[in-house]
Amino acid sequence: MTDVISPPRRLRRGRPEWLRGPALIGVVVIAVWVLVALTVPLWSPYDPLAGVAPRLQGPNWHHLMGTDQLGRDVFTRMLWGSRTSLPVAFVVIVSSVIIGTVVGAVAGYRGGWIDAVLMRFVDITMAFPPILLAMAITASLGPGVRNALIAMVLVWWPIYARLLRAQVIAVKQREYVESAEAIGVKRFTILRRYILPMAYTPVLVNATMDFGQVVLLTASLSFIGLGARPPSPEWGAMITEGATQFYSWWIATAPGLAILLVVLAFNYVGDALRDSFDVKGVV
Amino acid sequence: MWLGNRKGATRRVVAVGLAGVLLLGACSSSGGSSSGSTDKALLIARSMDINSLDPSRAYCDTCQIYMTAVYETLIGLAKDNTTLVPRLATKWEGNAAQTEFTFTLNPKAKFSDGTPVTSADVKFSWERLQGLQASSSYLVSTIKSIDTPDAQTVKVTLSQANSAFLAQVNASYLGIMNSKVAIAQGATIDPKTDKAEPWFLANSAGSGPFTLEKYQSGAELRLKRNDSYWGTKANFPEVVMKQTADAVTQRQQLEAGSVDIAMQISNDAAKGMNGNGVVVSQVPSFNFVYLALSPGAKGGEKLTPKVRQAIRLALDYKGLIDATVGGAGQVQPSPIPNGFAGTAGLAAPAQDVAKAKSLLAEEGVTDLTLDATFPSLNVYGVDFTTAMQKVQTDLKAVGITLQLNPVEISVWADKIGKDGIPVTMLYFAPDHTDSSQYVQYFGLLKGSQWQTWARTDVSQTQTDLLTKAFAEQDATKRADVYKQLAESMVADDVIIPVVNPNLFLAARSDIKGLYYSACCNLIISDLSRG
Amino acid sequence: MPFLLFGIASVVFLVSRMTPGDPLVTIVGERNLNNPDIVAAAKAKWGLDQSVLQQYFAFMKNLVKGNLGTSFTTRQPVMHDLWQRLPATLELTMCALVGGVSVGIVLGVLAARHRNKFIDHIARFFALIGSSLPAFWAGLLLLYVFYARFGWLPGPGRIDPRGIAPNRVTGFYTVDSLLQGDFGLFKDSVMHLILPATVLGWGVVGIVSRLVRASLLDEFSIDYVRVARAMGLRERTVVNTHALRNALLPTITIVAFTFAFLLTGAVLTETVFSWPGVGSYAVDASRNLDYPAIIGVTLLGGTAFLLTNLFSDIAYAFADPRIRLS
Repeated sequence: MTDVISPPRRLRRGRPEWLRGPALIGVVVIAVWVLVALTVPLWSPYDPLAGVAPRLQGPNWHHLMGTDQLGRDVFTRMLWGSRTSLPVAFVVIVSSVIIGTVVGAVAGYRGGWIDAVLMRFVDITMAFPPILLAMAITASLGPGVRNALIAMVLVWWPIYARLLRAQVIAVKQREYVESAEAIGVKRFTILRRYILPMAYTPVLVNATMDFGQVVLLTASLSFIGLGARPPSPEWGAMITEGATQFYSWWIATAPGLAILLVVLAFNYVGDALRDSFDVKGVV
Repeated sequence: MWLGNRKGATRRVVAVGLAGVLLLGACSSSGGSSSGSTDKALLIARSMDINSLDPSRAYCDTCQIYMTAVYETLIGLAKDNTTLVPRLATKWEGNAAQTEFTFTLNPKAKFSDGTPVTSADVKFSWERLQGLQASSSYLVSTIKSIDTPDAQTVKVTLSQANSAFLAQVNASYLGIMNSKVAIAQGATIDPKTDKAEPWFLANSAGSGPFTLEKYQSGAELRLKRNDSYWGTKANFPEVVMKQTADAVTQRQQLEAGSVDIAMQISNDAAKGMNGNGVVVSQVPSFNFVYLALSPGAKGGEKLTPKVRQAIRLALDYKGLIDATVGGAGQVQPSPIPNGFAGTAGLAAPAQDVAKAKSLLAEEGVTDLTLDATFPSLNVYGVDFTTAMQKVQTDLKAVGITLQLNPVEISVWADKIGKDGIPVTMLYFAPDHTDSSQYVQYFGLLKGSQWQTWARTDVSQTQTDLLTKAFAEQDATKRADVYKQLAESMVADDVIIPVVNPNLFLAARSDIKGLYYSACCNLIISDLSRG
Repeated sequence: MPFLLFGIASVVFLVSRMTPGDPLVTIVGERNLNNPDIVAAAKAKWGLDQSVLQQYFAFMKNLVKGNLGTSFTTRQPVMHDLWQRLPATLELTMCALVGGVSVGIVLGVLAARHRNKFIDHIARFFALIGSSLPAFWAGLLLLYVFYARFGWLPGPGRIDPRGIAPNRVTGFYTVDSLLQGDFGLFKDSVMHLILPATVLGWGVVGIVSRLVRASLLDEFSIDYVRVARAMGLRERTVVNTHALRNALLPTITIVAFTFAFLLTGAVLTETVFSWPGVGSYAVDASRNLDYPAIIGVTLLGGTAFLLTNLFSDIAYAFADPRIRLS
């Protein structure tokens, strides 16, 4: 699929056009979670790692979302979980965008055998279902947040490489690039000053959408035992614990809702951005 | 995994248990919708862990049930779980030195194809078990030679005294196969030439009350009644074991009457389950989960005897049983589980935080951090991750930090084989009824499983005591020797049992004859409906 | 494409062998890991005593012959296992795909016709929930509510435990049960499909409805639709007979993308619903470090992905004559 972009609509001063309605709510939700992640150690209701009450209590006034099998407060652990998921997703996306940009830009701009080699590599990586590849990599590196993070970057960057390459090829043929080349501007300068800024919009929009997907994948990896180590509160791992205590439904419900909220917020924002910048055919 | 159980995690989920069924409350019959042509089949919900259906290769809890139903051992086990009773053999005797055993086969015994069971079949079955060097081969490792003076007599000579031999013969893995049929399908006693394993996944060649009808990995195991069985024929014409991953689904299916027996109900799932045509029983088991301390492992150098003792004293055993199985379990003093020979009168472990702290102070240990890599299993309803988090909390109170690292068992096995692991967790379920298996596995004998893994010195005391036990013919005196062994293993502080979970056995109230067998797990031919 | 498959096979082979795990624990059980005789016999039997390079060439030689080796865990040829389990996965993913695409189209049309109105917002919310739900969590939640709590729908598995699987013709229980005229079994297998297909298909709804909405809005701005509207044709006629037909063409081409999505979802969904398909086989294989099975599953996934990609390229070329197959 080819990616077609039209130049971004002019943004008005003040609040941008896309930041309305649900997207605004999404931004607020994200901001609240970021705030929680940054400050929860200062006002945490309970110790997230210590048993503070009888085990397997249902939701009540003292424990809004009950307690788990070790008597820890589920609500507190859910809040602390944001301190894993959000930074991990941020690092994964930023690293993937950087690697993907470099590879995609080089492949698209240089073309020829470099392009062919790089893109075959990207094809092979993308032919694996992401979760299978991430599972294999995490398994071989050993579990833990850091290794899960590395695995996810390895899975994710090819998406941006492919996206950016298509953009670069599209922009490369425009007249102003051709004329810059004709007057002998250095290749790197052309790439940096003329091509990348034009090609970057869909990457940024996609990155916003993907942020939610990375939060999901982090949780999925933890759910199958390849992510965070106990006893650290991580949403996917908490769901696993809740699943073994199936009849104490609240243990899995709280972290699931947290994931849903965060991912939904990012999806709304990404969706609004996509509409606003009119990015289509996203891979 | 909608959880509770993960495949691979479920091997040996339920093993043997004590006899007798403790009925918990009344049973009112209702519901139980079953329909049409399948009405008479017995359905069992189970998370199956089958590694093979080849009698010389099978080694799993489900395999014990299968082997007992389809193949027969020379000696059976009575419902009291201690008395040996005739099965294929009518009588047997061992010499005083416990090095030679002679069995006389029942001339009436015949395989499902009608041919008689002869001493040649016994010889072939056991030699193949030994020759293929598969998982259960260690059970016959002491056999030196098998003589067959006539079709009904089997004379076994052992390479060393082994008072546990009759108990091992009773293990379901020593079942007898029809050697002519097996050989025709490519069975040999050499792993390089043997080609019969695939055939055994679709067919059977035993003398038991059932034959294999169909096996589909990950889905179901179907058994058909052996209508020409030489003994009392089974009650059910067909028995189907259904792959059912977790306790919650097993409960739901049992309550709906979709299955007749659910074999892996956890304590949490069992709550409020009695009644409505379902009977749940809870019995103490021989299974246990333990913490293992390896002073010889990389990073375990600080695990001196005093530090290990401090760890034993720091644990809140009652709290561990509460956290893992909701209180439905027992404290187990030694690596030989309660009920086995040599365990009567052992003192239960107790928490003593003050003493643990003073021991650590004596050793000058402060701020000790230890790697605790463990397999992320869930066995007998015990979730290792939950148990280890509780252990971590307990040890933190005396100043020891555990770095928990749950991994798949294949990764765990690689690590413990290469570097060893200072603190880890594992489980054990017995293969037969003799205490020697625990000493051979947990004792610090040269080359034993845990001597190798913990990389400790070899204990000469334990080595000598076991040799003594193997040569002792008298059961009471043998129990005394095993008690000394148990106390010696407790004093090592290498293996610390943390929970001995109860077994839950749940069935429709019209199912009769259900009990746990120490040799065979579940004996299907004893079951009936009515 | 053979090049890609070769690459995939090699990468998976390398990654799985680099994994610091010991598959012997699966083969002999953790009780026998220190028994030198048993370990040596098992290594010889499964070819694990050879060097990685030797194993690699042996594997490639077999692969060319179409032999994927024997699984450590099931002790059956991997081809046999995949053949046995593939229909379960296909039946589930196709149900999810058909359901997801249908609901997606309806939502997309509704959203486009009521652009920026209440219905548009609701449709978008519903669609976005689908791509925001963790599949494993949604599965657990649905099982808890519909199965454990109220018993409205059956639980994990493909049919009731008492049911007997139909004779295999297609391997799809829904089709095979009808072929042998067993309506009770048909109903049972459909009921068992509802929950997992919902979990899996919901994500598709989001992708499809978005695309349909956007394409329709594009079509609305094109002349012939304006003309049709100006001629006073009813809005429904305009949408259904003119705009929708054109707007649907691009939807065909997203099958490839959706497929990758479904495959990922299938791994988690099958795990939660004990669905005896390829996804749960993959999870078991990677847990047990069952090398032959891991490679088999990945090759199957890779092949499927490439095939759907090819399909979507062709479909795209047909749908849009401006693009030529090169």
